[in-house]
Amino acid sequence: MSGNVRKKAMSPKLNRRAWVFILPSLFLITVFVFYPMIQAFVTSFQTGAGNKLGWAGISNYRRLLTDATFKMALKNTMLYLVIQVPVMILLALVISSMLNDKKLKCKGLFRTAIFLPCVTSLVAYSIVFKSMFATDGFINAFLMKIHVIAEPIGWITDPFWAKVLIILAITWRWTGYNMIFYLSGLQSIDDSIYEAADIDGASAVRKFKSITLPMLKPIILFTTISSTIGTLQLFDEPMNITAGGPANATVTISQYIYNILFKYSSDFGYAAAVSYVIVVLIVALSLIQLKVGDKDA
Amino acid sequence: MKCRKGTALLLAGSLALGLAGCGSSKENGENQTAEQKLTIWAWDEAFNIPAAKEATEIYQSNHPGAEVDIVTMAQNDIVAKLNTSLASGSYEGLPDLVLIEDYRIQGYLKAYSEEFSDLSDVVKNEDFASYKTGINQYNGVTYGCPFDSGVAGLFYRTDYVEQAGYTQEDMQDLTWEKYIEIGKAVKEACGKDMLTLDPSDVQQIRMFMQSAGTWYTDEEGRPTLEGNQGVLDAVNTYKALMDAGIVKLVSDWNQFVSAFNNGDVASIPTGCWISPSVIQAEDQAGKWAIAPFPRMGENPDSVNATSIGGAGWYILKNVGHEEEAKTFLKETFASSTELMNTLAEEINLVSTLNAASECENYAKPQEFYGGQKIFQDFAAWTAEVPRVNYGESTYQMEDFMKEILAQVIAGADPEEVLADYQVQAEAALGQ
Amino acid sequence: MLKKTARFLKYLFLTIVSLISVFPLVWMIIAATNKSADVTKGTILPGGYFLENFRSLMNSDLQYLTAFKNSMVIGLVTTVLAMIVSSAAGYAFVVYKSKNRERVFNIILISMMVPFAALMVPLFRLFSKFRNLGPLKLIALNTPMAVIIIAIATAFLIFFFRQNTRTFPKELIEAARIDGLGEFQIFGRIFIPTMKSTYAAAIVTTFMTSWNNYLWPLIALQSPEKRTLPLVISAMGSSYTPDYGMIMVAVVLATVPTALLFFFMQKQFVAGMTGSVKG
Repeated sequence: MSGNVRKKAMSPKLNRRAWVFILPSLFLITVFVFYPMIQAFVTSFQTGAGNKLGWAGISNYRRLLTDATFKMALKNTMLYLVIQVPVMILLALVISSMLNDKKLKCKGLFRTAIFLPCVTSLVAYSIVFKSMFATDGFINAFLMKIHVIAEPIGWITDPFWAKVLIILAITWRWTGYNMIFYLSGLQSIDDSIYEAADIDGASAVRKFKSITLPMLKPIILFTTISSTIGTLQLFDEPMNITAGGPANATVTISQYIYNILFKYSSDFGYAAAVSYVIVVLIVALSLIQLKVGDKDA
Repeated sequence: MKCRKGTALLLAGSLALGLAGCGSSKENGENQTAEQKLTIWAWDEAFNIPAAKEATEIYQSNHPGAEVDIVTMAQNDIVAKLNTSLASGSYEGLPDLVLIEDYRIQGYLKAYSEEFSDLSDVVKNEDFASYKTGINQYNGVTYGCPFDSGVAGLFYRTDYVEQAGYTQEDMQDLTWEKYIEIGKAVKEACGKDMLTLDPSDVQQIRMFMQSAGTWYTDEEGRPTLEGNQGVLDAVNTYKALMDAGIVKLVSDWNQFVSAFNNGDVASIPTGCWISPSVIQAEDQAGKWAIAPFPRMGENPDSVNATSIGGAGWYILKNVGHEEEAKTFLKETFASSTELMNTLAEEINLVSTLNAASECENYAKPQEFYGGQKIFQDFAAWTAEVPRVNYGESTYQMEDFMKEILAQVIAGADPEEVLADYQVQAEAALGQ
Repeated sequence: MLKKTARFLKYLFLTIVSLISVFPLVWMIIAATNKSADVTKGTILPGGYFLENFRSLMNSDLQYLTAFKNSMVIGLVTTVLAMIVSSAAGYAFVVYKSKNRERVFNIILISMMVPFAALMVPLFRLFSKFRNLGPLKLIALNTPMAVIIIAIATAFLIFFFRQNTRTFPKELIEAARIDGLGEFQIFGRIFIPTMKSTYAAAIVTTFMTSWNNYLWPLIALQSPEKRTLPLVISAMGSSYTPDYGMIMVAVVLATVPTALLFFFMQKQFVAGMTGSVKG
């Protein structure tokens, strides 16, 4: 990954010292993530209800190929990913660079307000979203009043609009969250750079493009990968806002795994197999993102 | 140096904080095993929890000093914890008694029958509504004590119906065809919808099917979508309702409740457990009545009685207090009409214990429902609900059903769609 | 003139975004002051039932305050430990370089890619053995440490710190080494104070994640007096006739700690702060 690292002679002692920093994390992750991960992988070759598991070879994986619900979940999840992540990242970037303006008044107020969605309780926000986006809810009434639409939109009952609603909901909830990573990242950009650009008469858009974006690149990579993973594991919104409906039109892979484990008749082997499909997907996507974006700053 | 010390201090402090919690938990753990303390898990603090509390009082009056710990949890949380613990073979923290929904219990009994107590000597199946005994047994052994009745009724607004030119007499023993006809008249006369439907929660199909004594799966657990007249009629009935233009679509529980609380719909065809939510709108007192659930007219097996929801009590025998837990059930939910009488008053429970229908509180007229003796009616309908084995795949099949309905409502041929999904369901359910 | 319009548009945009952001929160606060039936009906006017709702919350058997305390302990301990352990690793992945370490980092990254639901049963089985393994019983099931221990080192945080360390001026480290500072001292006395805004962001998100964490505490914590807030709130919503007024009081109060934490931490997001240290 670190193609252009300047090879600096590092004393062996220093090198060993470095592992002291890493080993505690490595140990904890190995025990509490990798060990269960391997177990789950083994389980993905087993089948049966509850703990009466028997070996099944690759039959769980073969079953995936013909599972229409799985395909639907996969399609939905990818759709959310492709549309939602870029929109949210861009929005968060724009907002955080606006908020980074020294001269801006009420900064703290704006920042806190925009951050608040991600601490708003899921219970409360899903009730609000559902009632606002109900067929006879506030949003439809408003859109009809300003003549954007003639007929009320079935935000929750129409397969297409339900997906739109999920995308709106996750964007609403996580934009402020991503914003704080950018805000913290922006602090390492020296003010004098912006001041120099001001003197040169650069526009806001230009400053954003040629200063903010390049300087934030490592953080953008970080938020892109973590949002990708977050979206591929999306669960809360389809579970609480649309219940995966209408007719599985908004179901995601994580929700499907949960259903297999707890809503249906608890098939641990099949759930593990579905999980590993996500793992492979995420690994592939992250590798691409790292390849594209991970040049040493 | 200052910084490092600070870090060390913070580290030590937080570890101490974390571990302090552990210390106390250890003590608790030891205490719990020392005492013979029963633990009960259930959901719904307005319904099942008060019921467990009343039962505990009876138990404690028979066994002074006995301790019972009642834990409120969401139903989904109970399911998640139970599945994880049982699959891991770890009994730590599991309850002695647990409430399990009727639609799920067969799945547990199939996978973990050796974990549940045989209640044959505690629960006499003939004492309970016959429909409840379709699911508390596995391989001929009784594992569960039936609890609440999910018997359904047609809650309706007498004022709207009368405005539309129908009498309360007309509402008795309806077919769905007649129901739709009345619904159209109501819409015409009052501009109100007849009922709410939630496309992501198609409980109606369950009620339709059970009224005809059939289900998504057969006794062996195989899907029966194709060639099952009951399922086909259920789908057709659902579509007829949607097509009639008398439905207000909702998307969650909250909107469902608010629709009738706000007077937006003329009827609620659902389980008796909805009553507390209906009564909540005090301004509508005297305007509601309850009729038997409509039947599917074209289906000769369909009767004017069905069920939705409902649960039973089960004992996890390896947790450690099997005998005490059995005694608990024996003295309370498995026999006590006194308990059922109290619970009718307190939480509007319609019991599945046959003897409960003789209770004093069951004969009381309910002012809110214009003096109707609703408990007596519900008890009578409970006895008529066809017995069905829900199997272990209800929720999985229902997710298919949502897709089936979406396609049928969009105009597809029901029989073809059902045949399509029969193949899919077989693949998903076939082990 | 153009500049003024741009400025106005900027304020307008931020105001609209802020309003949209806080709306559900405001609704939640209003709902907390109303009777359950009015919440269901969709009232948007403040009512006079807050105290009553608050009282029924305090009187319910769900031990809300205990859960609040449990969540607080778990959240604080997790955050403190995670800041030290994960940031050290993220830091080391940039400051010390070797081919192996990059490979190790990529492997660590994989650990954030498995849906947690899939790991739950094996993890539970693992933890259920700790009770009888001497000192390991400190992290056994039904202890706060069982929840804390798995959140201390996360690929997410390590990755975040690694990315931020890249903007950290290397000259500062070199200079410190020449001054004779040890490696731990450099980390503790140069890196941590310089990267205040990075730590601020990490503290807020780590605390929030811990505060909202649901699935693992649900499985790992057994007795009612150990439960955390999300579990108690979930239990409240389980009713056929939920008391929405009371639930809203519960969720409003549950929002306060993270919101406050953010409010105080955001002071670290002052433009050019790191820069001035650098200069």
